[in-house]
Amino acid sequence: MQQIRKVAVIGAGVMGAGIAAQVANAGVPVLLLDIVAAGSNDRNAIAAGAVARMAKTEPAPLMSAAAAKLITPGNTEDDLGKLADCDWIVEAVVERLDVKQTLYRRIDAVRRPGSAVSSNTSTIPLATLVEGMPEGFRRDFLITHFFNPPRYMRLLEIVAGVDSDPATVAAVSRFGDVVLGKSLVNCKDSPGFIANRLGVYWMQLGVVEAVDAGLTVEEADAVMGRPFGIPRTAIFGLIDLVGLDLMPHVNASLARALPPSDPFHAANRELPLLGRMIAEGYTGRKGKGGFYRLERGEGGRRKLAMDLATGEYRPERAANLPELAAAGSDLRKILGAPGRVGRYAWRVIGQTLAYAAALVPEATDDIVGIDEAMRLGYNWKWGPFELIDRLGADWLIDRLGADGIAIPKLLAQAKGRSFYRSERGRLQFLGTDGAYHDIVRPDGVLLLEDVKRQSKPLLKNASAALWDIGDGVVCFEFTSKMNALDADIIALLSKTLALVREDYKALVIYNEGANFSVGANLGIALFAANIAAWSEVEKAISAGQQTYLALKYAPFPVVSAPAGMALGGGCEILLHSTAVQAHAETYAGLVECGVGLLPGWGGCKEMLLRWQTEGKLPRGPMPAAARAFELISTAQVSKSAAEAREMLILRPSDGITMNRARLLADAKARALALLDSGTRPLPPEIIAAGPAGKAALVMAAEGFHRLGKATDHDLVVAAALAEVLSGGDADPTMPVGEQAILDLERRNFIRLLQSEKTLARIEHTLETGKPLRN
Amino acid sequence: MQTYKAPLRDMRFVLHELHDSRRIMALPGGDELSPELMDSVLEEAAKISEQVLLPLNASGDEEGCHYENGVVRTPKGFKAAYDLFREGGWTSLACDPAYGGQGLPEILNKLVEEMSCATNLAFGLYPGLTHGAYLALRDHGSEELKARFLPKMVDGTWSGTMCLTEAHCGTDLGQLRTRAVPQPDGSYRLSGAKIFISAGEHDLTENIVHLVLARLPDAPAGVKGISLFLVPKFLPTAEGAPGARNGVLCTAIEHKMGIRASATCQLTFEDATGWLVGEPNKGLAAMFTMMNSERLSVGIQGLGIAEAAYQSAVAYAKERLQGRSLAGAKRPDLAADPIIVHPDIRRTLLTIRAYAEGCRALAGWVAQALDLMERENDPDARAAADDFTALMTPVVKALFTDLGFETASLGMQVYGGHGYIRDHGVEQFVRDARIAMIYEGTNGIQALDLVGRKLPAHAGRSLRRFFHPVAAFIEAKKDDAAIGPLVQALAKGFGALQLATAHIAECGQRDPEEAGAAATEYLRLFGLVALGFMWARSAEVAAAKLPAANGDAGFYRTKLATARFYMERILPGAFALLPAIKSGKAAMMALGEADF
Repeated sequence: MQQIRKVAVIGAGVMGAGIAAQVANAGVPVLLLDIVAAGSNDRNAIAAGAVARMAKTEPAPLMSAAAAKLITPGNTEDDLGKLADCDWIVEAVVERLDVKQTLYRRIDAVRRPGSAVSSNTSTIPLATLVEGMPEGFRRDFLITHFFNPPRYMRLLEIVAGVDSDPATVAAVSRFGDVVLGKSLVNCKDSPGFIANRLGVYWMQLGVVEAVDAGLTVEEADAVMGRPFGIPRTAIFGLIDLVGLDLMPHVNASLARALPPSDPFHAANRELPLLGRMIAEGYTGRKGKGGFYRLERGEGGRRKLAMDLATGEYRPERAANLPELAAAGSDLRKILGAPGRVGRYAWRVIGQTLAYAAALVPEATDDIVGIDEAMRLGYNWKWGPFELIDRLGADWLIDRLGADGIAIPKLLAQAKGRSFYRSERGRLQFLGTDGAYHDIVRPDGVLLLEDVKRQSKPLLKNASAALWDIGDGVVCFEFTSKMNALDADIIALLSKTLALVREDYKALVIYNEGANFSVGANLGIALFAANIAAWSEVEKAISAGQQTYLALKYAPFPVVSAPAGMALGGGCEILLHSTAVQAHAETYAGLVECGVGLLPGWGGCKEMLLRWQTEGKLPRGPMPAAARAFELISTAQVSKSAAEAREMLILRPSDGITMNRARLLADAKARALALLDSGTRPLPPEIIAAGPAGKAALVMAAEGFHRLGKATDHDLVVAAALAEVLSGGDADPTMPVGEQAILDLERRNFIRLLQSEKTLARIEHTLETGKPLRN
Repeated sequence: MQTYKAPLRDMRFVLHELHDSRRIMALPGGDELSPELMDSVLEEAAKISEQVLLPLNASGDEEGCHYENGVVRTPKGFKAAYDLFREGGWTSLACDPAYGGQGLPEILNKLVEEMSCATNLAFGLYPGLTHGAYLALRDHGSEELKARFLPKMVDGTWSGTMCLTEAHCGTDLGQLRTRAVPQPDGSYRLSGAKIFISAGEHDLTENIVHLVLARLPDAPAGVKGISLFLVPKFLPTAEGAPGARNGVLCTAIEHKMGIRASATCQLTFEDATGWLVGEPNKGLAAMFTMMNSERLSVGIQGLGIAEAAYQSAVAYAKERLQGRSLAGAKRPDLAADPIIVHPDIRRTLLTIRAYAEGCRALAGWVAQALDLMERENDPDARAAADDFTALMTPVVKALFTDLGFETASLGMQVYGGHGYIRDHGVEQFVRDARIAMIYEGTNGIQALDLVGRKLPAHAGRSLRRFFHPVAAFIEAKKDDAAIGPLVQALAKGFGALQLATAHIAECGQRDPEEAGAAATEYLRLFGLVALGFMWARSAEVAAAKLPAANGDAGFYRTKLATARFYMERILPGAFALLPAIKSGKAAMMALGEADF
């Protein structure tokens, strides 16, 4: 089949609309169809309503306002003919076989032969879906199972049927991977596929074993969450999130599909409490609350939790489990702890891991897919086989044996070994054949993780490292906590620039942490301020300014490749790079004003320059200064790379990569492409607005202050920022150099850092993660 | 001879000139204060200290306390002295007027305490303990308990104690075993044994109010399972008179190196009736709210001893005739020159003096913060004062008591062999001073508190309350014509302190043992720089006042000279601590247990 240029999604529920949004996020036009709305003038009201709702949903399914325009709402009566233009048709309607098959026949009647059709079903086997369908349809059909919410959950389960055309499957897979940015796991056509098969079993165990062990919901979640690298929502919090009412449906459909020998049946006990809660409308967060709920009364808000024993709500009580504290990160200790906590942990985790081992090769060919599915579909930090390796396969086999639980064949094969190993710098997994096999990354995927396994860093200190990623390109990695920037990073970056100049062609700044960088290490800055080490602070700012300037004027391409948060000093790195290749999920911004400071490593200067040169603004120094002032003083952070581009943190020429795993390869390719293009910028002449400009900016801030939208200290910070962005006492007719603005940044930064209210803000943000509006 | 005249001029300097008593007078409740009132309080305190307490110091030490069948008698004259002390209103000075107190500021109270510590440390412990118990009860007791007990404690007819230590646990209170069982009437029955209880039993007051740490039956293990109880020696009657004898017995008193006139008791609680103070299991926290004030008071003990040691040594150095001045005879009319002509004797005397006056100035700063913390209207200002006292408490407690002992020993040195024998009474200072380094948290624990808790808390927020004023002062005065050189010396010490602080913050976060290894030297460095700041500030005030001083010119000139001595002869010793601090734990952790 041809390349996918246009997509249709049928079914504008949460999943369908979310899938359509992600297609649009990738810049691909998409048709979103649902049935004709009864009793509405607009026959497209259901699909159109779904798009409108998405504009207000948090977290946002759409990455930009422009993306919303790529979605064309329609209905399945008037617009089905438009499917003829679509290369891929995704069905995401209600989980009823008759409805789906009826729809498939109608689709098949209008679609172009060779176009791909897929279902987002999570419970109906592919073989059942295509039963009785024409051969041509069966050839073009597959299952593409997204996870909710489709923009943020990276897992995409792909199920190909016996009749599916491999080329069609490959084309859809490639689109899902490269264009939609998902990580693909190939599943067999077995019940629940992988993530839900295992996840639902684990959740069901988590509930019934908690009831049996007499644990509170808080205790169960405390045990099943963090210690095992599972999100804090663990069992009961997760059920609240997905909806209590969904559980019986999913359980019933799995129970119907699974053979009587499957261990799921033993765990699938009906709980009267759950039925009662659903009947009374306590269906979770979407309903009146679930196992946890927030009660709003005269006395303010109260957090309640369901008492599993009495079936009544009571005030939430943080779990106090000395067993967890005593065990620390030693999983064996938790699983072996005497009493109900250890018993619960073991009953749930032990059986879940055994179940996982039994899924290979039934549900998929190898363990890698299972681990990937649980990491990306359920946000587990470690997949089940990684957990087994942490515990030791032998230890698990012994414990399961002692409990009389059957040892799956695959697990028995791992006796005396581990499921993963590193062999000559290559990551290998244990196959069903009992041999180890290399994990092969898809073309266009380059992971620093793999580079690090195979080589030693060129440079390294406590907070950063430099790696050779081939073809004369090196990768600078932050390794500090939360990738916060500190003196070590600046020092190593400075060394790196010297090294690349001598021995390499280009530099990529990239890492595989959850966030590119949360900005400068505020703890260090606050401590230095508290002990009045002003000269040290001044030195640190100067060093950062000089290093970032050197980055900007480096005689080789510097490509920054952010993903996740790129805040403060992390955002300033982007602003000083030759080019940026950003992951679509990049949240960038100069947030310093939020803690009562201002960007001090050239961020003010670069934003000013960006808006002067690329802002398409009216002439004169003021419009650019005003835009930069607005963005910086409100500490605005982009909610996507697309938004960062609107803020000019990214330039129009900067690239966006949808798939996180492809980011480094894309960044490297971009760096190599820049080699011939003479990347070194000329030092700019900045037209600064001077004192009159400062007065205008301050006046704008005072307006907010009068409206109660800015505090006294906001005004102090805004005045300092205004002074920097207007060039201090600069003369608007005389251009100033970069250093003049940098000096203003430095002086004003220190002045703000010396104020009690700024220090209180920093402390509050460090301790609570939230801003202080003082 | 134990010689003492209250250093009233220097106390007025600290109170009014250095720390500006107008700041205290401007606080809510300060409208009735005046400099004259405060000065007259100091003068009266000087009288009772010099005339009543000082004469009992050596005799009380010689006689000690007597124990017989659960009854403790204080040395001869103590009861009469206590009655005078009580009737003079000295127990109620800084207490809340709501309970009959005089509501005077803490800074004044601490100066008065210094006088009693200087003249009779053992005596001062009796009202001192009462004041600590008063604070804990005032902050955490129920209204009913406060109404029943506080007025009697404030007017001194009843005294107080703090019962923490047990035979097997002192520093580590999490291990304590005394139990409290709730009774149907809301009271508790306490059983257990406490040791080292100062003023646990004596004949000075008609009743004794014990504040006791104990465990409730369902209490969690460790420090989170400790509650605070009030257990009186006699259960008060409805009229508030001492009634039935409660089940708390003194089983022995300790025989001690010093403070021998203070009764250090072993107490046994046998189903003693008590009442909960504050919340269940929050006893340690309740106890610690008054710790800042109490530890400052213990620091003041070191200061008091230093002053007494100084005056006694000066008197002897002026009258003792030995040898001749190196520069030629100063008193050819006498058989020899008085030893005060010798540089080394002067070095010794000035060292004690510089420490004593520096400590007095620093104590004044911290005590003023205690007043701000209590009385300021602005919550931010209260919080800042709270941070400052929290930070400075371990520094003051450990530094002052270390210096109290060191200076007592230096004072004895001036006496030569005559100091080592009993006749002159200066060896008593050495013995009395020694305990202050140990109780209310040993000085090692103070150092750990400083590096482990106070320094890292809130990314060093408490540090700001000390470092910012010092940095601002240095910035403003480093080129001052009169005191510039002194400020530059301070700046050097302050720079070393900043480096040491950053070092400990950095390495202590990685490895708490590194912070622990540096703790004692760090506290000393911190304390010496704090004294340096006080000396620089004192010099600033003295230099400003000198031109128009007239009759006071001698005082200010001496101040300036002593400031110079501190900066030139003492503060440089602080710099030398930096390499020790930075050397890390390796040397002291290298040995195995068996190698010791």
